[in-house]
Amino acid sequence: MANPSAPPATVSIRPLSPYFFILPAVAIMVAGLVYPVLQAFYLSLFDWKIGTRFEDAPFVGTRHFVRMLTDDNVHESIWVTLRFGFWTITIEMFLGVSLALLLEKPIRGASVFRTIFILPLMISPVVVGLIWRYLFDARIGWINYYLGMVGIEPQVWLGDPELAFFAIVFTDIWQWTPFIFIIVIAGLQALPSEILEASRIDGANWWQHILFVKLPMIRSILLIALLLRLIDVFRALEVMYILTGGGPGRATELLSLHIYNRAFETQQLGYASAISVLLILIVFGLSFAILVAGNPMKEKSDI
Amino acid sequence: MSGVKLSGVMKSFGETTVIPMMDLQFDEGEFVVIVGPSGCGKSTTLRMIAGLEPVSAGQIFIGGNDVTWAPPKERDIAMVFQSYALYPHMDVSGNMSFALRLAGRPRDEVKQRVRLAAEMLELTEYLDRRPRDLSGGQRQRVAMGRAIVRDAYCFLFDEPLSNLDAKLRSTMRTELAILHKRLKRTMIYVTHDQIEAMTMADRIVIMDRGIIQQVGTPRDVYNTPVNRFVAGFIGSPSMNFLKAQLTGSDGLRVRGKGFDIPLNPRLSKAATDHSARDVVIGLRPEHFSVEGAGGTRSSLFAPIDLTVEVAEYIGSSQFLAARIDDQPVTASIEVGPDSAPLESGEYLFDTNRMYLFDRKSGMAIA
Amino acid sequence: MRFLDWKNRLAAVTMGAALAIAGPLMANPYEKYAGTTLVISWPALAHFTAAEELLEEFTEETGIEVEVDALQYLKLRDRQLLEMSKEEGEYDIVSWVVMWKGEYVAKGLLTPLSQFFTNGALVDPEFDIDDIADAYLQNGGIVGGGKGYLPGKSGALYGLPFGAETSILAYRKDIFEEQGLAVPTTYDELAGVMTQLGEAGIPAMTSRGKTGHQVTAGWLLHLAPMGGKIFDDQWNPVINSPEAVKAAEFMRHVVQTGPTGIETFGFGEASAAFLQGDAALYLDTLKIAAMSRNPNLSTVDGNVGFALHPTDVRCGSETGGFAIGIPANSQNQEAAFLLIQYLTNKAGDQRMVELGGDPIRHSTIQNNADLFPEYPVVAEQLPCADPDWRPLIPEWNELNIDVLGQALTKVITTDDPIQPIMDEANEKARAIMEREGYYKWAEYRQGS
Repeated sequence: MANPSAPPATVSIRPLSPYFFILPAVAIMVAGLVYPVLQAFYLSLFDWKIGTRFEDAPFVGTRHFVRMLTDDNVHESIWVTLRFGFWTITIEMFLGVSLALLLEKPIRGASVFRTIFILPLMISPVVVGLIWRYLFDARIGWINYYLGMVGIEPQVWLGDPELAFFAIVFTDIWQWTPFIFIIVIAGLQALPSEILEASRIDGANWWQHILFVKLPMIRSILLIALLLRLIDVFRALEVMYILTGGGPGRATELLSLHIYNRAFETQQLGYASAISVLLILIVFGLSFAILVAGNPMKEKSDI
Repeated sequence: MSGVKLSGVMKSFGETTVIPMMDLQFDEGEFVVIVGPSGCGKSTTLRMIAGLEPVSAGQIFIGGNDVTWAPPKERDIAMVFQSYALYPHMDVSGNMSFALRLAGRPRDEVKQRVRLAAEMLELTEYLDRRPRDLSGGQRQRVAMGRAIVRDAYCFLFDEPLSNLDAKLRSTMRTELAILHKRLKRTMIYVTHDQIEAMTMADRIVIMDRGIIQQVGTPRDVYNTPVNRFVAGFIGSPSMNFLKAQLTGSDGLRVRGKGFDIPLNPRLSKAATDHSARDVVIGLRPEHFSVEGAGGTRSSLFAPIDLTVEVAEYIGSSQFLAARIDDQPVTASIEVGPDSAPLESGEYLFDTNRMYLFDRKSGMAIA
Repeated sequence: MRFLDWKNRLAAVTMGAALAIAGPLMANPYEKYAGTTLVISWPALAHFTAAEELLEEFTEETGIEVEVDALQYLKLRDRQLLEMSKEEGEYDIVSWVVMWKGEYVAKGLLTPLSQFFTNGALVDPEFDIDDIADAYLQNGGIVGGGKGYLPGKSGALYGLPFGAETSILAYRKDIFEEQGLAVPTTYDELAGVMTQLGEAGIPAMTSRGKTGHQVTAGWLLHLAPMGGKIFDDQWNPVINSPEAVKAAEFMRHVVQTGPTGIETFGFGEASAAFLQGDAALYLDTLKIAAMSRNPNLSTVDGNVGFALHPTDVRCGSETGGFAIGIPANSQNQEAAFLLIQYLTNKAGDQRMVELGGDPIRHSTIQNNADLFPEYPVVAEQLPCADPDWRPLIPEWNELNIDVLGQALTKVITTDDPIQPIMDEANEKARAIMEREGYYKWAEYRQGS
């Protein structure tokens, strides 16, 4: 400023200035996201028991990780999580997208129905767990009550490995299909009407219309929904904790619940931290794969 | 096969009637432009022809078939939209071939037709690009290519050029006209821009408030507008209207504030048959002149005093924002590129080019 | 009786106050601590809620203030561990599930009670510790003796039972009468009754059965009477012994003949099934008696009979519930001891019965035998209560939940042969013990 004949002084800073502006955001990210992850990793190197001083906890190095790699319980838990994710996400995506396509048109009463339909999403997961625990209850649950009315023997929904798995999948679908539904319906309603008309003129029948025009155009939204659900599957805890506690056996013990049980039921904090590091890696890997397969941000200028 | 026909068509949205009643015939191979201000019902008319909007009453025929209740794909039509409406997830050839692929045409034929259309529109090198990688004009051409590939019986255009800049728009107008000559298909083109209408149309349909005001060739609607609306809508810059009284008995004159002009024999005769004395005269800006430059002081050219407020230099002519007494008028006068800015004074008007309208009904007196 | 008691106490308080004013001539063991505030951490359970009135009486009598931090019992441990591992803790008294005592002592969090019992100024000569049910005292309070958690010459007392319990059999008198059944005294008879009820289409015995510590608790109830143990004397797991397998078989039988859904029952659900009339038998804590009289919980009041925990090769009922002690980092240990003594002495125990809590003293149970129908049964049951009903070592948690909790779920939810399931569990248990260093001495000796 003082010397107007020498302006390039500011120019040399310019390549760095974007980084300067994102610094606060990065700082918050590091403090809020990266630090806890590193802390978990650090904790996983020790055999710490609650109630003792952390300074006294023995350093065990990678022993927890070695144990984890050969721990059948961890493997089983990952397998349960993957199966759970496959069934819930597949069915939720199918149902959510179908319902969004059905309820997209402004027919009379659609808004009422839409509101009712997203109710499960507004209920706290703990309450969802309790509701379904009582619905599925073998002795006093409504489900067995109504099955009894049509002559079906009472089932021990939460006490049989297959039925319990079905129950948590069913509950998750009940709770999360509305999430897909509202995301997709928002996407569908944002589609430009002329393109949809163009496809009618081009001669697409309704399923071609949906399959070749509508769904490809909301592809980025579907991908984001998929990503969020996938991450959620690995985070899901409350509902299964209340519904089955992971049982019977480990039939419904998702990885996150496995970590919880390791940390708080059997008090192996270090080992639980090691498994949660694994969880983070798995979620990171899956998210990365999805983003590589089709970066939703890349195509935001499409519509 | 007999073009496109609308017979007794009515359209209302709920309580609001958009098109009270419409009969319209488009001949086969004709290029018709429907023009009118926004909200006049021209787009609705086009959408009813396309089948995107159901009619409330009446019938629609395309190529002799009653398609009133047929879905769009059974109407043998192609349509170009204002926003181009390209499929963002398909490349150019995918966009152009979509209809053919849906119809299950053989792959070779699809390829061939896309190639031909692309050549016609100079899109060959862009065939594997996505719409987002194209410029506005290129997207517009793809939208047209998509219609051309269909080889439909009837092409519908819904303000296809309004998103382009002025230069591109005029280029595309020409291309469209050439295209029509080549394809020889019925084309129905909706626009609010009368220049597009005048330059491209075989016939123009002028609509206002859901009602057809006049149907005719560009020449017809320019020269003999049936009412004040058409007269004001067609022509650029638009016609000046001045309130006037018919005076005299033999050899009528129109007199108003700041002018007193004799009618030519044709108008004089027509006005004699007309009962009302309160009229509006219509003077097109381009029919003003100055003595020596296109105008001569004679019985045909009536002198009018113009108070010039601004004289805009636009090359060989000058555009005047002026007043006759206290009424604003515009005039476009050819004086050659080297003349000095025009000033207030006496100008001439060709009385043969004057229009006369009934003040109450707005209908032309002719 | 209650009136008299109240009157006596009032007289004592008045006298005490008068004497305090009169001068230091008459000794008052509480005087020195008047004005102190004690903080108690205990669970929000019926026994402890009832005890709050007794705390008020304590404050009135002694001038020592008391604050209660009542938590849901599953949350209690984390909170207590956190508080007790500080330099100076908030808590002056903590109440623990008997399971946790070993861990608390091993981590040096509790203070031994011997230092107070040797202090003549504090200890009430009429306290009579021998009157407290032996199994309760051993199970809840003693750490360091045999196996580390049982009495013995190396052991010491860290807590007194408070809210402790044993198991008895509850049955539906109406159903037994209707079906012409005799109340079972042995496991063979019990199994027979269950089969008979099952054949009659009546859900027989309810039980905890949910994966984890719940199903293990259900199984442990049968293990002791059948002569089984978790470990032999060298810490070798013996959960695949014939006795353990027999208990597991019995557990399977319970699930097959019992109410629907035992596989999902925790303590609450198992109790509810009996209280709401969906099971004819209940074999678990004596607390079922009080619950069956609570109209909010029970629809079977008046139809419930009580009997001893059936025997097989021996008699052995559970010992569990809570004990109460003083954190090592408490700043008011002596006053805390006075309160613990107040709650557990004969008068305090009697007051607890009057307030709806559970007694811990033989004398209290005998004195109130006419009050509740289960008391005579409990009095007879207590000598059988087995303080070694389950191992109270830190590793028990993992064994309980991860090993036994999983294996027994497999037992009750499948028809697979039981022996291999228990063999596998035994191997896992051994691996855990190995990992935690229990066999180092044996290996060392073998090596040398």
